[in-house]
Amino acid sequence: MNKARTLVKFIQFLDVTFGAPKRLLLYVFDGVGSAAAMTFETFKWIAKGDINPKNTISQMVEVGWSSFPIVALTSFFTGMVLALQVGSATSNLFNEPVYVGTVTGFSLVMELGPILTAIVITGRVGAAITAELGTMKVTEQIDALYVLGTNPVKYLAVPRFLACFFMLPLLTAASNIIGIYGGMIVTVNSWEVTPDMYWTEVLDFMIVRTFLHGFIKSFFYALIIAIVSCHKGFNTSGGAEGVGKATTNSVMVSIVLILVSDYFLTAFLVALNIK
Amino acid sequence: MIKVRSLNKSFGKKQVLSGINIDVYDGETLVIIGPSGTGKSVLLKNIVGLVTPDCGSIIIDDTEIVKAKKDVINEVQKKMGYVFQEAALFDSLTIEENVAFGLRTLTKLDESEIKQRVVQCLSMVGLENVEKLKPSDLSGGMKKRVGLARAIAYQPKYIFYDEPTTGLDPIMTDVISDLIINLRQRLKITSIVVTHDMRSAYKVADRIMMLYKTGVIFSGTPAETENTDNEIVKQFISGSSKGPIETDRTFSQME
Repeated sequence: MNKARTLVKFIQFLDVTFGAPKRLLLYVFDGVGSAAAMTFETFKWIAKGDINPKNTISQMVEVGWSSFPIVALTSFFTGMVLALQVGSATSNLFNEPVYVGTVTGFSLVMELGPILTAIVITGRVGAAITAELGTMKVTEQIDALYVLGTNPVKYLAVPRFLACFFMLPLLTAASNIIGIYGGMIVTVNSWEVTPDMYWTEVLDFMIVRTFLHGFIKSFFYALIIAIVSCHKGFNTSGGAEGVGKATTNSVMVSIVLILVSDYFLTAFLVALNIK
Repeated sequence: MIKVRSLNKSFGKKQVLSGINIDVYDGETLVIIGPSGTGKSVLLKNIVGLVTPDCGSIIIDDTEIVKAKKDVINEVQKKMGYVFQEAALFDSLTIEENVAFGLRTLTKLDESEIKQRVVQCLSMVGLENVEKLKPSDLSGGMKKRVGLARAIAYQPKYIFYDEPTTGLDPIMTDVISDLIINLRQRLKITSIVVTHDMRSAYKVADRIMMLYKTGVIFSGTPAETENTDNEIVKQFISGSSKGPIETDRTFSQME
């Protein structure tokens, strides 16, 4: 009898100790599995060419054109800050601002342009996608799509996926150029470097592969934003509160995945000599 | 004809439906009643394929749909319309686009025919000149009627109504009930109606079925329902808080 009680207590102890990690693991694997299934289905519809052009174009306008002002503003000031910091640091070290254009250009094109654009798009577009799809889910609009003979992934996820995939790299390219111009304004005004000199510094060491480094990464960030935001939206439950939680969760997960994947993508691209 | 056999459905540890057997005959209006949380809407969602049952079979016009391939299910789905509890209109589309949605995805009608059908369906539910409005511009009752217009637009053989009169005023409730009867008479539509509204149930039903504690406990005509000896059904249709139906909202328990 005592042995049986001890065994029951031991099992209860195991459940209390490992119950939470087990549930967390199950939650993570369940999420990864269903996100993978949704991604597979999205690719399947794209491969079939079964794409709604009207929805895709309107999503592209929303992701690309409507996000352009905030991306431009962010990158412009980032370029300005970079030029200010680099100029200040090199002035302290070498008594004159050197390589301001080079460092600003490289930093923006390889890292800050893609990352900042991805984060801005996560906050602006990813959150909106999750909130919209989440609201559709809790108000049974996604069920209504299904009943009306329309696959929700095909109708909702594919256009958003394509819009993110094609617009984020374009925004990143625009962000790089605008950031470099921002840097130029500060460099010319604060560090008394001529625009020609600045552009020579920017372009002297920059080759196509340097640009490709950031550009390729932006495609992966687009995948992360589209997959996470659509998946979180489709799996929303619990009314208005659920939509809020799903949106917060979507932004957090996207940003964390973008920052973590940045390291691995950088290591991979450097190993391939794309730098 | 719709046949449901030995249908079971649970969510986590909660058993919602257990051993459900139903036959819905062509042209019939079956009303499903029962206390909240007894799985009436879940049963409808199982039949239209929005929820997958744990076990059992659902046969629609001799086609078993639970284990059928997607293209078979898609074909069967064209025969079904669903009126959602809160209408579930697409926020981003106009009323016209909402009603035309099923016509564009499930039929091969050209645009002029679609426009004509949209106007016709909206007028059937008593709505005019609302085509260019968005769902947010409409009242709750109007949204429900647009939901109904959307469901009937592509002329399905079966329509499933999930609490079509909840939240409506008595007059609008009667309008919706008349509409359900009208659809059965004019278009020979077979319907399953989930409702708590007994007045509407008596009016539209050919047969009333009651779900209680995961199973079917009663099935009969409206007259049989009114005169039943089943204490559970009697309590439900009288709307009394005292009786065999367990509820945590009775005063005795609150005390």
